[in-house]
Amino acid sequence: MKRYLALTRGNFQVWLAYRFGFFFTIIGNVIYLGVAYYLWSSIYQHANVIHGMTFNETFIYIALGSAIFILLKTYADWIIGNEIREGIIAVYLTKPLDFQLYALFSSLGGILMNLAAISIPTILILTLVFKIQVTMGLGLILFPFSLMLAFLISFCFDYFVGLSAFYTESIWGISITKEIIITVFSGALLPLQFFPDAVQKILLALPFQAIYHTPLMMVTRPNQGWETFGPMLAVQAFWVLALFILTRLFYNQAIKILRISGG
Amino acid sequence: MSLIHIENLGKHFKVLNRREGLGGAVRDLFSGDYRTVKAVDRISFDIEPGEMVGYIGPNGAGKSTTIKMMTGILKPSDGTIQVNGLAPYENRIRQAQIMGVVFGQRTQLWWDLPVIESFKILKEIYKVDQKTFDDHMGMFNELVGLKALYTQQVRTLSLGQRMLCDITASFLHNPQVVFLDEPTIGLDISIKAKIRSVIQELNRKRKTTIILTTHDLGDVEALCKRIIIIDKGKILYDGNVKQVNALFGAYRTLKLQIDDFTESTLEELHGKFDEHFGTGHGITIAEVEENWTDVTIDQARTHLSDVLSLVMTNFSVYDVRIVEISMETVVRQIYDGALG
Repeated sequence: MKRYLALTRGNFQVWLAYRFGFFFTIIGNVIYLGVAYYLWSSIYQHANVIHGMTFNETFIYIALGSAIFILLKTYADWIIGNEIREGIIAVYLTKPLDFQLYALFSSLGGILMNLAAISIPTILILTLVFKIQVTMGLGLILFPFSLMLAFLISFCFDYFVGLSAFYTESIWGISITKEIIITVFSGALLPLQFFPDAVQKILLALPFQAIYHTPLMMVTRPNQGWETFGPMLAVQAFWVLALFILTRLFYNQAIKILRISGG
Repeated sequence: MSLIHIENLGKHFKVLNRREGLGGAVRDLFSGDYRTVKAVDRISFDIEPGEMVGYIGPNGAGKSTTIKMMTGILKPSDGTIQVNGLAPYENRIRQAQIMGVVFGQRTQLWWDLPVIESFKILKEIYKVDQKTFDDHMGMFNELVGLKALYTQQVRTLSLGQRMLCDITASFLHNPQVVFLDEPTIGLDISIKAKIRSVIQELNRKRKTTIILTTHDLGDVEALCKRIIIIDKGKILYDGNVKQVNALFGAYRTLKLQIDDFTESTLEELHGKFDEHFGTGHGITIAEVEENWTDVTIDQARTHLSDVLSLVMTNFSVYDVRIVEISMETVVRQIYDGALG
């Protein structure tokens, strides 16, 4: 375990070397939150509750959604894809490391950096500038755990897209498609409640909602018991397990066609 | 028991036959038109613990492919390969602990971090304890003055400094075998010499088995007792480096750019050489590219300076370069029976 944590620490330091980028991400995020605030307050002008959600709930959902979006953005798909395409993967394969865990713990370094540099400032801005209020409840306590599972699921998608570089010269198209699918189907852009019932049912059966919808529901509706949150966490855990196994199988298949450039 | 045992080892790649142009590129998407390339074709050899072996050949000979099979990155297509009694590909993670690898073209150091941080990460990855780590770093510092580079970002190192760091990093966990894939590529003479002495010192102090791939014969001459020459996936020669050295070490190629070069210039050169040095002078002449003539000289038989002064007095020479014999020439001469 310690050998992998060294990777997390190392990557945290790498991200630190690029700290100036965070400043701009925070500014961009504040602008986005401002736009979202006015957009949703005008939508809520003539109704207190839309699709069972109040303005406060919706705005917390959207704003925290954007904070999680930035938190999970570790570019793991691009990094892995690049390592495969350029043959740098050969260097890691000569180390006593499992490649999936190597990628996971490296990506975790980016998560910690994002958390400290972007997500926490965003939450501070939310509470100070937009004066949003969160009610205390079980959901709030479970939120960090749910977020951790969400990261693992999100990582699996990144890892999968990265590995696809074994089959294609450029992962650009696949990565963009992944971003769009996750953003729309996970409820990151719009709460799932706003989708038609039939679509909602389908989306709830897919893994994407476990990245955004689940943790965000825990914050927006924290006053519920284990009977609600228990199954939600179980579904997340199920997807973590399933996707870890699937991407592992995909790796075993993909590595067979490995041709590191240069004979 | 030998440390590395290779028997009838082969690696085949399937390569798509690409067609020309845009239409060809579109058809390639659906094409099943593959040909098999035998990058390594049934080779066999054994390497003993503590040996330092030069594994050489021209570009695309199969050197790196063999290394990648020995390090467990690539799965052999057929044959057996064992390192310390285990198949590398099937036991990759376990085997990685007893191996060190340097790919000359890629670094194992973290590009954006100071040098020392990479060493600290590698220390954790290989589970090297603090005392061993300190001892090693002390030794590396003595050898290459590593301390001066500790706080420098890897991206700011020169190619030679980076290579020295990469080599020392590959010895950090005291591996049984270290693979050095083109460690001197693109480096100038003085830093090459430095790297050679470091490798030699590490091999001497640690008794580490070292396998060195290069297409610079000088590296092998300076470091190895044994040389394996590979071309087109097959082993051409496996034996004492002295024999190869005796044959090729004395060769130099004089590259000449002669003014007013015509068809007859080559004949004139031939004539002058025969006239001055008699038959059996061992000089070969070839026009390799436009305006450049290669005169390859066996210094055991004819002095380079004599040839040079003869050429200079009889021809109007615009430019001259003297180069060591190239890997390609060596391989060509072995095919022609130079090593019996």
